[in-house]
Amino acid sequence: MSTGHTHDHDGDDHGHKHPAAPMVEEITDYEILEIAVRELAIERGLFTAEDHRSFTEWAESLGPINGSRLVAKAWTDPAFKARVLQDGVKACKELGLDWTEPTGFGTPSDYTNFVVLEDTPTLHHVIVCTLCSCYPRPILGMSPEWYRTTNYRRRLVRWPREVLTEFGLIVPPEVEIRVEDSNQKCRFMVLPVRPDGTKNWTEEQLAAIVTRDCMIGVALPRPGRTADVHPIHKARRPVESSHHERAAE
Amino acid sequence: MKASKTLKTSDAPARFKVGDRVRVRNMPNMFYTRTQNYVRGAIGTIAVCTYKDLIPEEEAFNYDGRIEQYYIIRFRQKDLWEEYPFDNDTLQTESPEHWLEPA
Amino acid sequence: MSGTSDVDTSPITLLEAVRRQGKEWDVIAPRYGVTNPDPPWKTSLIGMNECLAVGGSLPALDRRRAEDELGKVVYSDVPAPERELLALVHTMLRRGLVTEGELARRMRTVRSRLEAV
Repeated sequence: MSTGHTHDHDGDDHGHKHPAAPMVEEITDYEILEIAVRELAIERGLFTAEDHRSFTEWAESLGPINGSRLVAKAWTDPAFKARVLQDGVKACKELGLDWTEPTGFGTPSDYTNFVVLEDTPTLHHVIVCTLCSCYPRPILGMSPEWYRTTNYRRRLVRWPREVLTEFGLIVPPEVEIRVEDSNQKCRFMVLPVRPDGTKNWTEEQLAAIVTRDCMIGVALPRPGRTADVHPIHKARRPVESSHHERAAE
Repeated sequence: MKASKTLKTSDAPARFKVGDRVRVRNMPNMFYTRTQNYVRGAIGTIAVCTYKDLIPEEEAFNYDGRIEQYYIIRFRQKDLWEEYPFDNDTLQTESPEHWLEPA
Repeated sequence: MSGTSDVDTSPITLLEAVRRQGKEWDVIAPRYGVTNPDPPWKTSLIGMNECLAVGGSLPALDRRRAEDELGKVVYSDVPAPERELLALVHTMLRRGLVTEGELARRMRTVRSRLEAV
């Protein structure tokens, strides 16, 4: 969908009408390119239209909300937390999340070996895939762009504290930082320490402060922090520059 | 949809157990490997026995070959990088058995 | 991480033409007041990546290594996800999974089809 309109009515009967959602009123070469190469690939027998539709629908269904819910539930239910740490895939099923979708065997990138890494006051985990940016997409959705950059992938294993500082996270030296490089078939997520100031919170309130960055390990959850915000990067292509100029290093 | 790979079981017992000290071998890459350069030759301890599966070098060519135990290995960052300044920091990564030898 | 010396990073005429249009999502979406962070074809691209890996035509590790190299050399100033799409097609062309000629022809056909509505 090109529409910028996202609005969840939760079944309520709103009496008002919405203004027409803005749409991108042109068909770009990128859009054409994707369709064209896909059609040719299907005609060449590289894959079927049916399989493509299945994976695309699966991709559309993903987002980090199940990760947040898993953390919130683990924080409030010690028996659930124990099950999470014992078998991540099985615990996800309790939340209605099935790692074997959409094929029955998972996907060729995500597999079915989900491991939750529990932080403690003396142990902080952070996740990377140096080889290719593998990520637990079934529970967290698509990876953020910065996670896929060679900048993050190469530097996090070597300089984790410097990289975390760039995210605004400073970890005391006595706390162990454990980098998890997911180079094979296990997929990981961080179960952060429940922050102070959340006593008697509902699971919903807790889930709201467990953002994607907290589950990768580049941020810590805390009351009032309900979004991942990153520093603004300078314009890739400032207004006056020509399309042919390469970005300055 | 048909999956081309199914997880096979193997009767061969895992060579290593949690807590064992192991060294990552430095083998030549024939074609396709998931063993990073930065762990080669390093010594760590087995943190978790994860699953049994085809080794990636053979799976990449759809070869129904060897099934091995996979492990998560934990390294001290001080053992991976020269002049790493923080004593407590660690790094974990996963490896199939044949990339490991006892240390 | 081992380096990649087997990716042909020389530019491909057809893809350079697409890039010259300059119609990346982060440029055109604001023009129309659309706030969705992703272009409409992004999930379809993800689906295609999975399908190519499942079928063995293009394993994920190969695709990502090529994408890293191409992103560094040829498409460094293209934002994600356009960079990912260009890198994928570039890799498919270099591997002979599709040809530049047929892709150019199909793009013309697709555009006519979509604009005829």
